[in-house]
Amino acid sequence: MTEAIQNVSHPQIEVENLNLWYGEKQALDNISMRIPKNSVTALIGPSGCGKSTFIRCLNRMNDLVKNCRIEGKVSIEGNNLYGKGVDVVDLRKHVGMVFQKANPFPMSIYDNIAYGPRLHGVSKKDMDGVVESALRSAAIWNEISDRLESSALALSGGQQQRLCIARTLAVKPEIILFDEPCSALDPISTSKIEELIVNLKNKYTIVIVTHNMQQAARISDYTAFFLMGRLIEFGKTKQVFQNPREKSTEDYITGRFG
Amino acid sequence: MELGSNVNENNFKSIRARGGLNIGLNARTSEKLAFALLTLSAMTTAGFVVIILAYIIYNGYSAISIEFLTEMPRMRMTQGGIYPAIVGTVYLIIGSMAAALPTGIMAAVYLNEYAGENRTTWLIEMAISNLAGTPSVVFGLFGLALFVKYFGFGSSLLASCLTLSLLIIPVIIRSTQEALIAVPNEYRESSLALGISKWQTIRHVVLPAAIPGIVTGTILSIGRVAGETAPILLTGAAYFLPRLPDSIYSGFMALPYHLFVLATSGTNITQTRPLQYGTALVLLMIVLGLNLIAVLIRRHYRQKLKI
Repeated sequence: MTEAIQNVSHPQIEVENLNLWYGEKQALDNISMRIPKNSVTALIGPSGCGKSTFIRCLNRMNDLVKNCRIEGKVSIEGNNLYGKGVDVVDLRKHVGMVFQKANPFPMSIYDNIAYGPRLHGVSKKDMDGVVESALRSAAIWNEISDRLESSALALSGGQQQRLCIARTLAVKPEIILFDEPCSALDPISTSKIEELIVNLKNKYTIVIVTHNMQQAARISDYTAFFLMGRLIEFGKTKQVFQNPREKSTEDYITGRFG
Repeated sequence: MELGSNVNENNFKSIRARGGLNIGLNARTSEKLAFALLTLSAMTTAGFVVIILAYIIYNGYSAISIEFLTEMPRMRMTQGGIYPAIVGTVYLIIGSMAAALPTGIMAAVYLNEYAGENRTTWLIEMAISNLAGTPSVVFGLFGLALFVKYFGFGSSLLASCLTLSLLIIPVIIRSTQEALIAVPNEYRESSLALGISKWQTIRHVVLPAAIPGIVTGTILSIGRVAGETAPILLTGAAYFLPRLPDSIYSGFMALPYHLFVLATSGTNITQTRPLQYGTALVLLMIVLGLNLIAVLIRRHYRQKLKI
């Protein structure tokens, strides 16, 4: 494949010959890519190209889909997620996910953040610290620190999405997957989340699905272009956007289709 | 020029007005008709409730007194109170709920969250639907055969509670399933994505969000339990028993059966007329009171979940 893939010497996520079927329909076709640590990798491509399906393979959310069959290998730090005896619940503690639609639980702001740590055994006296640090890391603490007990559903869409990011951070993952996190948000909320994502890469490895090519160009270090279930091109974002190797990548980026 | 254009415009306007008027009348007439019919149906239903309530209150309130509510029936049930029947009905509600609520909720969680789409699930779903449509007297006979005779509980509170719980389990399963389906899938996904197990997700996110719907099912079942006569008649309700049940193996009196006895086979049907209305009134008040509590619980949880 492309140079960038070979250049990554210590990938955190390594995908080898990943194939996925929904029933008879093949949704992912022989995907291989190596995602480096502490970077932002953007997955772009037209609707239905398989980018969301792909990102859901990285924390095995596709397990929840009926008639979904997966072949190939996805390794994180050398451990195959699809190997025998993998504890999926434990895996998802290490690989967090933020969804397209902000979806806080119908609980207070505090309980939304404390939900994960509480069930993972964080004690009551440590909880205030965990909640505060998660909210600070998600750049929302200053806006809501005075009303932690009020319902999370009363927050604005952008705040809800940052709350969901904080909820994910509170579990202390190493990798965070974002599935079009800004597609339902206004430009100001979007820029806040973009800024947040760029800051988070110092501590986390980030993979983000996005429909917005400017967004991919702004925040990502690596970009992968998907088309009809295939990985067409993967490389440094600068190279993919300024000097794409493949004709279809160029067509998509310049807006000729999609 | 000016005149001509005016005429043209007027013509056009009148044509449009005529066409519009025609369509408008049709649409408006049918709208009015539909609205009237729908309102009438709703009003009729509410009207019957009001009539029944008013009739029973009017005829029954004179019978209500402290003695009526707290004393045993006396003089071959022509005097005294209905205390044991009230207590019996309350015991029936508590007992059958204690058996049916956990079973029904757990069954619904299994069917909705765990069971795959296969033949076994289909068979279970079919069985529940059929159970919901079975006449209550059949439940009574079944309870008599299984609980009273085979398990040897005798004609007792326990046998009646278990029989009634079988009757309401389908109601509770169905309403719990509806409530679970209404819980957004995003809640499940985002909880699982935090590394929370499926059961913890159900326990801490899905079930709390489903509580208002589950309570609705409970409301329906309480009315059912309090009012059913055939199942308890066959499994434990006593014709006349002037003492409270002292264990789950005792017989008991219950309001609907007591009412039936007074009204059809009592010792003096005409003389006990006020007692009959009084009993009906008490039964209604218990059911309405419990419904009210359930509605308050439901509203409390709804508000807690929303804002």
